[in-house]
Amino acid sequence: MADKRKYVIPGDVVTTGPFRPEQNVILDGDKIIATMVGISEIYDDSVRVLPLAGKYIPKIDDLVIAKVNSHTSLSWELDINSCYVGFLPAQDVFGRDFSAHADELTSKLKTGDLVAARIANFDRTRDPLVTIADRDLGKIDSGVLVPISPSKVPRLIGKKGSMIQMIEMGTDAAVTIGQNGWVVVSCESPEGLLKAKKAIEMVNEKAHVANLTEQVKEMLEIKDTES
Amino acid sequence: MGGRDATMVLLDENGIRCDGRKIDEPRKIMIRAGGLKNADGSAYIEFGDNKILVGVFGPRDVHPKHMSNTDTGILRVRYHMEPFSVDERKRPAPSRREIEISKVIKEALEPAVMLEKFPRTAVDVFIEVLQADGGTRCAALTAASVALADAGIPMRDMVAAIASGKVADTIILDVNNEEDQAGQADMPVGYMPSLEKITLLQLDGVLTPEEYKKCVQVGVDGCKLVYELQKKALNDKYFGNKGD
Amino acid sequence: MASHSVLDDLKKTQILELLEQGKRVDGRALDEPRELIIEINAIPKANGSAKVRLGDTETLCGVKIQPDRPFPDMGDKGIFMCTAELLPLSHSTVETGPPQAPVIELARVVDRGIRESHMIDVSELVIEKDKSVVGVFADVVVIDYDGNLFDACSYAATAALLTSKIPKWNWVDETPVLAEGEQTQLPISTIPVSVTMGKIGNHIIVDPNGDEWASMDARVTITTDSDGNICALQKGDSDGFTLEEMHQCGDISVKVGAKIREKLKEAQKAGQ
Repeated sequence: MADKRKYVIPGDVVTTGPFRPEQNVILDGDKIIATMVGISEIYDDSVRVLPLAGKYIPKIDDLVIAKVNSHTSLSWELDINSCYVGFLPAQDVFGRDFSAHADELTSKLKTGDLVAARIANFDRTRDPLVTIADRDLGKIDSGVLVPISPSKVPRLIGKKGSMIQMIEMGTDAAVTIGQNGWVVVSCESPEGLLKAKKAIEMVNEKAHVANLTEQVKEMLEIKDTES
Repeated sequence: MGGRDATMVLLDENGIRCDGRKIDEPRKIMIRAGGLKNADGSAYIEFGDNKILVGVFGPRDVHPKHMSNTDTGILRVRYHMEPFSVDERKRPAPSRREIEISKVIKEALEPAVMLEKFPRTAVDVFIEVLQADGGTRCAALTAASVALADAGIPMRDMVAAIASGKVADTIILDVNNEEDQAGQADMPVGYMPSLEKITLLQLDGVLTPEEYKKCVQVGVDGCKLVYELQKKALNDKYFGNKGD
Repeated sequence: MASHSVLDDLKKTQILELLEQGKRVDGRALDEPRELIIEINAIPKANGSAKVRLGDTETLCGVKIQPDRPFPDMGDKGIFMCTAELLPLSHSTVETGPPQAPVIELARVVDRGIRESHMIDVSELVIEKDKSVVGVFADVVVIDYDGNLFDACSYAATAALLTSKIPKWNWVDETPVLAEGEQTQLPISTIPVSVTMGKIGNHIIVDPNGDEWASMDARVTITTDSDGNICALQKGDSDGFTLEEMHQCGDISVKVGAKIREKLKEAQKAGQ
């Protein structure tokens, strides 16, 4: 690994000098110190650490898989696998004509339902605002939830989606990946479902291994002549 | 030679302690990061005969809501000993000693944990002492630090801890149970190695001003040794199978 | 488990669908418990100890044996007590504070399963009649939760008791004095084994894991002894069992219990 990347734990000095501290580092005097377990990167004039542990921190426009925890007469509370719970207002689903008297929230979503959602707004003074108002969002009717570490999501997607496409093609499963580490897998055949689940869990466990792609390919029994 | 108990030899003429160690030699220490399936972060430590497990949850919603802080997250620590962890069976209800140690450990971790990044949340640290043999609070603090890092809680630094002390008019490192009972002083020290700050310090016993300074120094140096094992624990879990 | 984080509906549906086909999510048969791993002497300074892994549920029992005053009117019997505690690090929903009813039930069911089997002959634990007896305290803690704490705690306590070493005390000058020398095993007459079954729809499953536990309508824990007799039973949760189902559970507990007893015997042997 080139000098520009290092394994770090909290308190490690990544570098000293006139650098701008970005994500997961702090400035102490002229030392840039890591605050998380992860991989430090120095690029241009800034320093950051890519964390290998930690909860999902919501980012606006992120696609997430969420689970309905509870609801009031005006909104649902969603578990988004983060430090904060997601807030889904009734208007998002019923439209602006929503009336707390006439419209019953459980007719659309009830406790225990899984949804594909997007983070509409977030700042740390309020719970993240969530929406399911797009065509590709909404209640998930079938499939299995496979949780992985949020830090492994980029690896599961792969370069230009290569890893996840390989898994989908090798199993005939449809996979929806939430940036929050929750992944939904659905498949007509139970064998395909199990294989896809195993492949996803393998990526979660071995994200750092150099020949992971080969290992997943082997596990899915994909021969190079198949697409 | 010894302390309050005149019959026990705590330091012999060759400078060897009652368990065979030299005066600056810590007991055998093993730290493992992770291990629990449900906790957000965890760590297990063996420090001499101490066996301590730590689980961390958070940052997470605070219940009851009135305990949450709009400007910053809060840190909660519970140090708890199992009934079978000590010589005479301990009743399950929290003792005053456990409550005090919980507070002291919390205050030793707070300077390191960046709670301001997570307003309205709590980080919970649960320490369970499975087997006790002198110096549990230092071992617990050390493991708690690793568990917090394992949970991905942002920290300015790790916190490492060990107790220095005095037996037979000699300053020693890592006080074991017999030395704690029968020795002349016991000083638990918690230290942030990068920021070079002491975050836990207590003293039981009598020291001259010179001995006190030496005792703190020996404790701080000991913390640096412990820190290397914290680093190793996290390296093994997160960076272990990779080459560079 | 008192309260559990919300189980997603898809999982619940999946569990039931598979059960209709005679299958379970983790591939087990309906009457098949998870892999049981027993590590004895996990806490060397205690008189006996065992760490148990039942799937991803993990429990630890430490046994302390020390002189105690006998209960009034029971001066010719030693004391046996078994407790269970759910540690907050075992699951995100566990609260600190005094134990709630579900944990109290867990502790009492585990205690009864062992006590009612007469595993330990407490009349052999007397130092001086009416004045001093031996107290045997088996304290179980739950370290990681993935369903079926009844069995995981019971196996930890049983394994710890089977491999405990008891010192000898002599009555000298109105006080018990520890005698130096060999330690012996506890006076054990039988090996109790609890088997917990859950009911989901019309299906009876053995050793429910965390997700199955959250989907159950009712459960029953049945303890058998080395003779294959049923010595303790507890039915719990909100639905009911038919008479046939209860009979079926009795048979299952004897059959599955016998297999698990072999594992406990291995642990006992390893401790000798």
